[in-house]
Amino acid sequence: MSSAGGSLAYAERWWRYARYATVVTVLALVLLPFVWLLVTSFKPNAIIFAVPPVLLFKPTLQNYVDLWDGMFPPSFLNSTVVAIGTTVLSILIGVPGAYALSRATFRHKEQMSLWILASRMAPPIAFTIPYFLAYRHAGLLDTLPGLILIYLTFNLSLVVWMMRSFFDALPPALEEASWIDGASMFQAFFRIVLPLAAPGLAATAILCFIYAWNDFFFALILTRTNAMTATVAIVNFMNLEGWEWGKIAAGGTLVMLPVIVFSFLVRRYLVAGLAAGAVKG
Amino acid sequence: MGAKGFTTTRRRLLKGTAATAALATAGIFAPAIVGRAKQYDGVVLNGVSTSSVYMRRVKELVPEFEAKTGMTVNYEPLSFPIHNQRVDLELSTQGSAYDFVNLTFIYSGRWIGAGWLTQLDDFINDPNLTDPNWDPGDFVEGAQKSLQDADGNTYGFAHFAGAMLTAAGRYDLIEKAGLGMPKDFDELIAVCEAVHGKDGVAAWVSDRNHHWNSIPYLMGFGGEIFKDPPNNLTPLLDSPENIEGAAFYGRLLRDYAPSGVLTFDNDVTLRTLVAGQANMRTGELAWELPMATAPESAVKDTVRFGLTPTGPAGWYPGNNSHGYAIPVGSQNKEAAWAFIQWALSKELMERIAREQGFAALCRRSIISSDWFRESLQINGDDVAGLYLEVLDRGGEEPYMRYRTVPVFPQVGDKLNKAIEKIATNQQSAEEAMRQAQAEAVQQLKLMGIELDI
Amino acid sequence: MREAAIGPEAGGSGAAIADSFDADKRRFYRFCIWPLALILIVITLVPMIYLVAISFTPLNLTQPQTFGDFSQPIRNYQFLTEDGRFHNSLWVQAKLSLWSVGLQLLFGFLLALFLNLRSSFLETLRTVFLIPMVLPPIVVAVIWKMMYTPAISPFHWSAAALGFEIPSLIASPDWALTAIIVAEIWQGFPFTMLMVLAALQMMPEEYIEAARIDGANVWQTTLHVTLPFLKGVLLAAGLFRLIDSMKAFPLIYLLTEGGPGEVTEVTNYYSFTLAFNFSFLGYSSAITVILMAMTIVLTWAIVKIVRRGEALV
Repeated sequence: MSSAGGSLAYAERWWRYARYATVVTVLALVLLPFVWLLVTSFKPNAIIFAVPPVLLFKPTLQNYVDLWDGMFPPSFLNSTVVAIGTTVLSILIGVPGAYALSRATFRHKEQMSLWILASRMAPPIAFTIPYFLAYRHAGLLDTLPGLILIYLTFNLSLVVWMMRSFFDALPPALEEASWIDGASMFQAFFRIVLPLAAPGLAATAILCFIYAWNDFFFALILTRTNAMTATVAIVNFMNLEGWEWGKIAAGGTLVMLPVIVFSFLVRRYLVAGLAAGAVKG
Repeated sequence: MGAKGFTTTRRRLLKGTAATAALATAGIFAPAIVGRAKQYDGVVLNGVSTSSVYMRRVKELVPEFEAKTGMTVNYEPLSFPIHNQRVDLELSTQGSAYDFVNLTFIYSGRWIGAGWLTQLDDFINDPNLTDPNWDPGDFVEGAQKSLQDADGNTYGFAHFAGAMLTAAGRYDLIEKAGLGMPKDFDELIAVCEAVHGKDGVAAWVSDRNHHWNSIPYLMGFGGEIFKDPPNNLTPLLDSPENIEGAAFYGRLLRDYAPSGVLTFDNDVTLRTLVAGQANMRTGELAWELPMATAPESAVKDTVRFGLTPTGPAGWYPGNNSHGYAIPVGSQNKEAAWAFIQWALSKELMERIAREQGFAALCRRSIISSDWFRESLQINGDDVAGLYLEVLDRGGEEPYMRYRTVPVFPQVGDKLNKAIEKIATNQQSAEEAMRQAQAEAVQQLKLMGIELDI
Repeated sequence: MREAAIGPEAGGSGAAIADSFDADKRRFYRFCIWPLALILIVITLVPMIYLVAISFTPLNLTQPQTFGDFSQPIRNYQFLTEDGRFHNSLWVQAKLSLWSVGLQLLFGFLLALFLNLRSSFLETLRTVFLIPMVLPPIVVAVIWKMMYTPAISPFHWSAAALGFEIPSLIASPDWALTAIIVAEIWQGFPFTMLMVLAALQMMPEEYIEAARIDGANVWQTTLHVTLPFLKGVLLAAGLFRLIDSMKAFPLIYLLTEGGPGEVTEVTNYYSFTLAFNFSFLGYSSAITVILMAMTIVLTWAIVKIVRRGEALV
């Protein structure tokens, strides 16, 4: 919006501040539920149910300390291991695949792309039923490898879709030039193409991590005690005698913390990645 | 091998050395009689249960058991729905993730019927595995019944009995209206009518397990859930008696309960009662007693207890029990049995009961002991006596059998939905119960169960 | 250093080099694609075929003999046509999806218009708006369970302070689905907002300028210039969210469990209860196959629409 004259400039400035005000108000409303969780996690248990709500209180870390004893710390570790494991595997398998899909033409490429996207979109229960039945016999129920494997079903597709659009953006002339310089395709891919796609790769990896970390459904069905993840551990605080809201809020805060940090790290690529993945198809 | 069986030498064993010793035996049990002290060294038990006062205390005391036996016990009390869903899934795979679980009342028929749990009689009868002082006969029959199959074989031992009593936190309001504890359904309505809205108090409250809370009323009108459980599982949800009962119960929820009652889990229900925001519920004693004992209770001095009201067709107080059981896939059955014996030993129960006041115990010797009865004299009511009366009622007549058949979870779910629809005026009792019946029949047919319809 | 350029104009030895380059490319592509293809077949295609196979059996884990019983292969699908609860779940799903996706698009679009300004202040805010989208869905469910639990909800408190007694929304058959929809929108609108913003930044400024010079006001420009430009993006975003809305689970699991009655029981949740609470894996698989088919059709639509809309973006 460029200005064209004094009164117009005034109107535009006014319009700009009105916009700011609207956006800030909406933002406050949108964030309220989120902030409420944070606040509750620091509330002493005695006042969580106080009516009217106590808004000024001495924050306590007690809820976090209480989490320490029990399933929560190991489940947090499980979440980390599983999320990293599936991210590494998805990248290793998915990135070269995405490259080939971006560059090569071959039979059934269309169908393969569609299938990859569809498996990304599939309702989790579609995979849970067959995996659950197979894991019973394979001994993979309640194991970390079992979770890593099923998380590949959505993360592999994510890698392929995102990386493909990053590779699409790189001109094929790169490989040709390096071929003339005497490099094989293998070398060209690792020395030229991949470094250029590195920011995209990092963003993709982080998104993979987030999706695996955020899963609730698969872990609910496929884990018991040993491989329980943090998202499932949160619901364990919902007891028959009472929802331990303090612990639930503290657990929820801890679980969302890494996700928020990571998202901020890749916020630019969150836009580029999601939009590219979705728009470019 | 109850608590007494463990010797002081065992107590001295440290977990660390125990673990190394275990590597040598590699998980294979030596004959029980040989070197009992080291029998379970290094065995790792994984167990879950629902989370009740007793369970949580047992978990806290697990290190004592570990020190005695050299086992490592990973014991996690879980929330009720999470526990049931996980254990049901795990049992259905006959997996070995758990060595002991909670034998949840409503799943008992399903789990026992499907052969997913270990039959315990061989353990009980083996003097090498069971301390003669442990006395399985001490468990109240009413609580044990649902943990057995039709032939009387035992699959679990009860750690919790839910005997349904009436509790009225604001009995003073009832008295002021010139009424008393309701003895029948008409009196119940009269009390609700008289109390509702007084002092900002809702007359009635209940949690959303309607398929537990409502059935005594259905039965009170002469209703039955199944034709002849466990032999004939034809559901009878749309019988005139059940429709009448559902309408009656739906009315309690609709007209006399606090707003939002349909979302109330047990904890919210209890909190409402303890805060004096609602007067009365008919429910398990364990979830009513905090009105008298919780430090924050606003109704400590006005709460009174009584037997649940009798319907035109009789008195059918709800009666359930939860026990410990061993999954059939467990790789450590004997060790798990040792744990169950310890967790439900007379000594431990008495100790926890003395600490906690009441923990929905199931050993007759404790419930009928003088000190226990004394501790449950509340505002003039002999609560321990009422509790035992309801438990014995469940033991003498098999009216609770409907609940332990394998298909109750499905049929109960339909009833639950029907009650919700009645209480929110989505449907009339007749429509709701007819629909519930149709859906129940359809699902049971899908399972290939033979019905008369 | 290879000597010749690659391309049609290259002759002689150049052509040979081009051939070997093509050969190397093909070899490398094959090396890249095979592991992916094989693993995808094993982890997604085979399970899907297995799922379809199970849907032809009455598999119920309490009755082991039902495993692999293909005697009445279409029985489950016949049940589907008679099962009122399944039909209801489709209807609930349709209401949930259409309302939540429609409002997400509207809200995300409007907000994007507001945020589309070169301003470092707004750019910072933009990032904060993303929070609901990246949160673990179970945390979103916990947050909204708090909002809808009268005893601890700031929303209920402030209403009470203003003199309104708001009944619990998730307990009310009239409001429970709305409550879920609100939470869904909260979680999903940043996605639309992001996509619209990305597209807006690619929109040539001249478009707006030209409209302005023609005398169009803000509303007219939005309606006749911006909106048509964004058509493809909005459609794609809508389809993505539509598919996501079919997966709604943690919210319903934690807030209503499908109730009261079956007011909020979506197909996905119904299928879950059948399979994992009652062990009706066969029947649940049949429902899931239907869900999966719907997903594939929608995915296919995304690909088609996006292809066609590509020129627009």
